[in-house]
Amino acid sequence: MSGQATPAPPAPALSPKEKAVLERTWSSPKGLLGWFMHVNHRSMGKRYIVTALVFFVLGGLEALVIRLQLASPEAALVDPETYRQLFTMHGLTMMFFFAVPVMEGVAIYLVPLMIGARDMAFPRLNAFGYYVYLISGIGLYASFFLGIAPDAGWFNYVPLAGKEFSPGPNIDIWATMVTFIEVAALVAAVELIVTIFKQRAPGMSLDRMPLFVWSVLVMSFMIIFAMPPLMVTSIMLAMDRTVGAHFFNPAEWGDPLLWQHVFWFFGHPEVYIILIPALGMVSSIVATFARRPVFGYGAVALSMVAIGFLSFGLWVHHMFTTGIPELGTSFFTAASMMIAIPSGVQVFCWIATLWQGKVVMRSPLLFVTGFVFIFVLGGITGVMVASVPFDTQVHDTHFVVAHLHYVLIGGAVFPLLGAIHYWFPKLTGRLLSERLAKWAFWLMFVGFNVTFFPMHQLGFLGMPRRVHTYSADLDWGWLNLLATVGAFVLAAGVAVFLWNVVRSVRRGEVAGPNPWGADTLEWGTSSPPPAYNFAVPPTVASRHPLWEAVPSPGVTGLRSDRREVLVTRLLDAEPDCRQVVPGPSITPLLTALAVSVAFVGLLHSTWWVPVGALLTFGAIVAWNWPRAEHLGLGEDEGETSSVEAAR
Amino acid sequence: MTRRSGVDVSRLPVLATGAQAPLWWGMLLLVTIETVVFGAFASSYFYLRFGAPEWPPAGIDPPDLLLPTVNTLVLVASGVAMHWADRGMDAGNVRRLQVGMAAATTLGVVFLVLKAVEYSDVDYRWDTNAYGSIVWAIVGFHSAHVASVLLKGVVVSVLAFRGHFTRERRLGVQVNGIYWQFVVLIWLPLYVVLYWVPRL
Repeated sequence: MSGQATPAPPAPALSPKEKAVLERTWSSPKGLLGWFMHVNHRSMGKRYIVTALVFFVLGGLEALVIRLQLASPEAALVDPETYRQLFTMHGLTMMFFFAVPVMEGVAIYLVPLMIGARDMAFPRLNAFGYYVYLISGIGLYASFFLGIAPDAGWFNYVPLAGKEFSPGPNIDIWATMVTFIEVAALVAAVELIVTIFKQRAPGMSLDRMPLFVWSVLVMSFMIIFAMPPLMVTSIMLAMDRTVGAHFFNPAEWGDPLLWQHVFWFFGHPEVYIILIPALGMVSSIVATFARRPVFGYGAVALSMVAIGFLSFGLWVHHMFTTGIPELGTSFFTAASMMIAIPSGVQVFCWIATLWQGKVVMRSPLLFVTGFVFIFVLGGITGVMVASVPFDTQVHDTHFVVAHLHYVLIGGAVFPLLGAIHYWFPKLTGRLLSERLAKWAFWLMFVGFNVTFFPMHQLGFLGMPRRVHTYSADLDWGWLNLLATVGAFVLAAGVAVFLWNVVRSVRRGEVAGPNPWGADTLEWGTSSPPPAYNFAVPPTVASRHPLWEAVPSPGVTGLRSDRREVLVTRLLDAEPDCRQVVPGPSITPLLTALAVSVAFVGLLHSTWWVPVGALLTFGAIVAWNWPRAEHLGLGEDEGETSSVEAAR
Repeated sequence: MTRRSGVDVSRLPVLATGAQAPLWWGMLLLVTIETVVFGAFASSYFYLRFGAPEWPPAGIDPPDLLLPTVNTLVLVASGVAMHWADRGMDAGNVRRLQVGMAAATTLGVVFLVLKAVEYSDVDYRWDTNAYGSIVWAIVGFHSAHVASVLLKGVVVSVLAFRGHFTRERRLGVQVNGIYWQFVVLIWLPLYVVLYWVPRL
């Protein structure tokens, strides 16, 4: 019964009748209950992106309150405890609930389209991950509105975060919610890796993958190696706080520095988990608007892999002032500076691409130029703080605040906004307004620099991070006021962007399948794509399938009456087998709720953990219990009718 | 490797096994994640151990070797039984799968019971000191994995006895086997860390 893929003449266009069958097979259920049963990757990708943008706005509002409080010396807009919760929530929101999920969301939406697949490998796992993300975010913000949000900073150092100095529930919420959302990140990472490994269009060998797909692959592997240590250290903290363990208690053979080591072993790669997909977005945009392939495809792909590896050898540069041995600091200084090399390689490859191309300046490319400017400045201060004596001087000052925002906003938010302007027509079928996009860009670019550039100087003047206020005679007032004004200009830019999105969803110019004349497969289907992505799944003969003079013919032989995807081989993407992926189901939501019982219940009593674990087991069994349609039963034509009947 | 002709995939199999199947890769990645988790625990153990002037701390004896060593052999035996069941299933021998699963599950239960016996008798708890914390955390975490793989094994056994698996349709058995062998193999370095490192 196991046969082989056979050469075939170009696939004919599908008949309307067959398209109707495909549409029915892949459509998502309607209604409120139906909404909780969606599993299609584009549905989940959109939810991730929209939810992450909501958290982005919340984190931004927290930042504005922080800036208002710091605008003048000895202000009392918020009390110190609220201020601590504000800066902690800002950091947690932006790192865990905006930056990582939004990158995953874009990847979940785009990767199957870019590799020519009809869905991802484990659609229900996708839905499960989304609900875990949503529930943990709601849990975190519920604590904020109850006034018991985490308040020891996003990196939550012990002993401050220990029971002795933080007796309230605040830090327990940090430990549970952060562990919880890591589950979502890991689930998405597994899903993305397997999909990229096994579901690329025939002919898309690894060296023909779009650079964005490469970046998602690197990001996902980094998540797999970086997130588990964070879960381990959160579990240790939770044990210290709830059952009286002594991991971080030096009086009982523990060590508070253990927290810092394990946290930053995760925390440093985390920055690159956010940055790497942004680099992939930049490569996509640069190629399209330079009207030529990216210069040095291999160099760019390998640079991303190199950054992925190097980022795991940098964590101690967050700990230069903790009194670790000098040999250690020298090693980590060298490693930290080394990461400038692959980063530089990419920047030069993009410059070469633009140099040799016919540049079309549209809004996505505008945001990319903003990225290059800001990110390079953040990179320069990064090389500065990599040196131990300099770092010792500016450690825990606003210089570091400036540096990290130049890296993260420059390195991730600007490329992301470029990407949203670039792929918005694919998601909605309509273009964003170029005029509003320019307004948004310039407001954000100017606002950003006015906000954060003065913070370098404030750091040199000695203004620490995370202080509730400062005394008037220190003369920090006018620089802080300037930064606050800049923050509101930046916020105005974000508001214009959001207005552009809301307006263009309904009234934007109709885009058509490929408004930019781009080269990758997602532009080869309608905008927005149908539920099944491709009526005829494509094959690929080069890195730039849509720039080929003769389009490659497609794949025939996938059944339309059930959710079949083509599975190909890891290296050369030759057809290997077909798989039936599961359709809409409520079990992912139920499983996420069962897992929540364990995590949220832990805030009340440790006994909820086994209860939640057993509930989760039950939900997973219900989820995975074999049913005819997943098993490839009814493989012969004769049995098709029974599958139809079962539906 | 250019491709200019279309491709007809209607004759490709739907029931995949091994590295053909996305699920096999998914399980491999889950095992990778779990390996990193145990790696982080083990690294923390060594960090605490090398930061301490004596290990285990004064007043705590190094762990006994006899019971945990025997118990480790029990777990290895369950892995062997599972391997035997898997290989049987590769040849389509459902009977071997049933017998092997039953044996592996029983040995897994014995392992958990002996672990419980062992740790009901040690003179420190997780809240005694950091040594107790890390030892109990590692043992507890690994035992939770054994318990979960046993639950998973029960589900696979039920399906096996209901005649669900065939030579073509054995992917579920394969990924169950991967996870089982992971839980067995990851214990071996943990055994060395927990029972031999304190004696160095």
